[in-house]
Amino acid sequence: MSLSSQSARPLACLKQALRQCRAERQQQQTRSYAAAAAEVQYPSLQTRYPLPAKSFRTSQATKQNRFETGMRKIPVAPQVPSTRKLCPDPVAAVTASQISALDATGARTRLFSQENPDRARVGDILLVRQKSGEPFSGVCINIRQGNSKIDSAILLRNNLTRVGVEMWYKIYSPNVEGIEVVQRKAKRARRARLYYMRQPRHDVGSVDNIVRQYLRQRAGGPMNNAKGRDARSNKKKNNKRGRN
Amino acid sequence: MPPRQATTRLFALPPRFLCPSLPVTQTRTIRSILKPIPKPSRFNASQSLPVLGSSHTAAFERKEHVMPLRTGALAIKKGMTAIFDPETAKRTPCTVLQLDRCQVVSHKRRDVHGYWAVQVGAGAKEARNVTRPERGHFAAQGVPLSRELAEFRVKNEAGLPPIGSKITADLFIPGQFIDARANRRGMGFEGGMKRHNFSGQPASHGNSLAHRLMGSSGGGQGSGSRVLPGKKMPGRMGGEQMTVANLKVMQVDKENGIVVVAGAVPGPKNCVVKLQDAIKKPWPDATWPPAIETVTEPLREATEKAPAAA
Repeated sequence: MSLSSQSARPLACLKQALRQCRAERQQQQTRSYAAAAAEVQYPSLQTRYPLPAKSFRTSQATKQNRFETGMRKIPVAPQVPSTRKLCPDPVAAVTASQISALDATGARTRLFSQENPDRARVGDILLVRQKSGEPFSGVCINIRQGNSKIDSAILLRNNLTRVGVEMWYKIYSPNVEGIEVVQRKAKRARRARLYYMRQPRHDVGSVDNIVRQYLRQRAGGPMNNAKGRDARSNKKKNNKRGRN
Repeated sequence: MPPRQATTRLFALPPRFLCPSLPVTQTRTIRSILKPIPKPSRFNASQSLPVLGSSHTAAFERKEHVMPLRTGALAIKKGMTAIFDPETAKRTPCTVLQLDRCQVVSHKRRDVHGYWAVQVGAGAKEARNVTRPERGHFAAQGVPLSRELAEFRVKNEAGLPPIGSKITADLFIPGQFIDARANRRGMGFEGGMKRHNFSGQPASHGNSLAHRLMGSSGGGQGSGSRVLPGKKMPGRMGGEQMTVANLKVMQVDKENGIVVVAGAVPGPKNCVVKLQDAIKKPWPDATWPPAIETVTEPLREATEKAPAAA
């Protein structure tokens, strides 16, 4: 690039200046790239896309309806109140309404409630008055209170005409008019079910004498048990007739 | 040529040996006596033609008289308890079912779909868990999203409640009978004794390792030496829909959505049960619904509010 050529073609210097500029720019670019590469220690860890928002959840992104950009919005009607939330346990509700109807005073529930310290326990002698038929008494050898409270039942054992008799009674049955504790067991039974009393050496036999004594005592009290007496007298008469 | 004309003209014609070119009618059969059966044209689809027995229309008409008049309800089986009758002291084991957000989602119409049915939804789902097509179906009807969907066939258009009607427990009247349909409990692979009530084999008398086997599966050479199709054998038991018919409705609680029916209902606890009027009993004397409550009102309010807000 001589001076002579410059004087001969005045615009040639412009071309040369532009070339110079381009070369410098390229050099600058390469220098900046080199600087950036030196800063990044682990290029593989560099993010290629902008980072997600702070509230982003991967589990939500996988759900197909999370992002519906550019689509027509589908209206969703609001839900009506749920009966399931209003009544989470319908079985308990039905059972409770049954029990409240069958046991309005709550006496039967209390007699066998775990919270009641004076509750009837296994080993006690109980008397069950029935709506139809004679009252039955015996030693309570099992109290069944499963998941279904309405089906709570007691198993009474007695001897009738020297034959062992066991009867199950549902405590909430409308056929059961009342349950009375005739005699409590002296010592707390150490079993939940006293099935050993079926064995001859443990069998207490008939409890009729104890029950008769209890009824006689009660007859003098304020709650006169005329009905029970009548029932017994009828029985005696019938027996006599049978013998004759 | 019809043969009858030939026979009537027989004596009008000269003897056969004089005109051998005439066609011979030698046999007289039932065809020559009977009127010719009109051949159905492919384009002969008039109203007067009888309905073919194997068609959809004939099947619909056959079933029409057992179709319930009213819709059913989708319920959840909650468990069992017992109810005492205070007068007779009779104890009845009962199943407690609950109706949760049961609603009429859509109709199936005879002219469009070929039958009359009510599409009923129950429960609820979150919108983000529902696909767009499904959300579109509910949005088109203007009802909230339901977790379960089922159809209840009805006899005619009168049995279709308006879309969006709430189906409450008082659909059923205490004392009426219903049919309960649900998927049975899955038993897995079971033997013939449990699955088909086979008798099994003796415990003793020389029996060895074959006490619960199904025994023979068919005859030998004289019977084809093969197992006939449909032979009851061990296999997968349960997990399929079954119907328990004629369950008596004991109690109904509209507020809590409780329906108590006498007896057992198929399926485990918390399974979905389809309840509808029993088809083997007289229809209940009910004109349901007494006052239609709809679930579509909230949506209308919401959609009216939305453009105003935007």
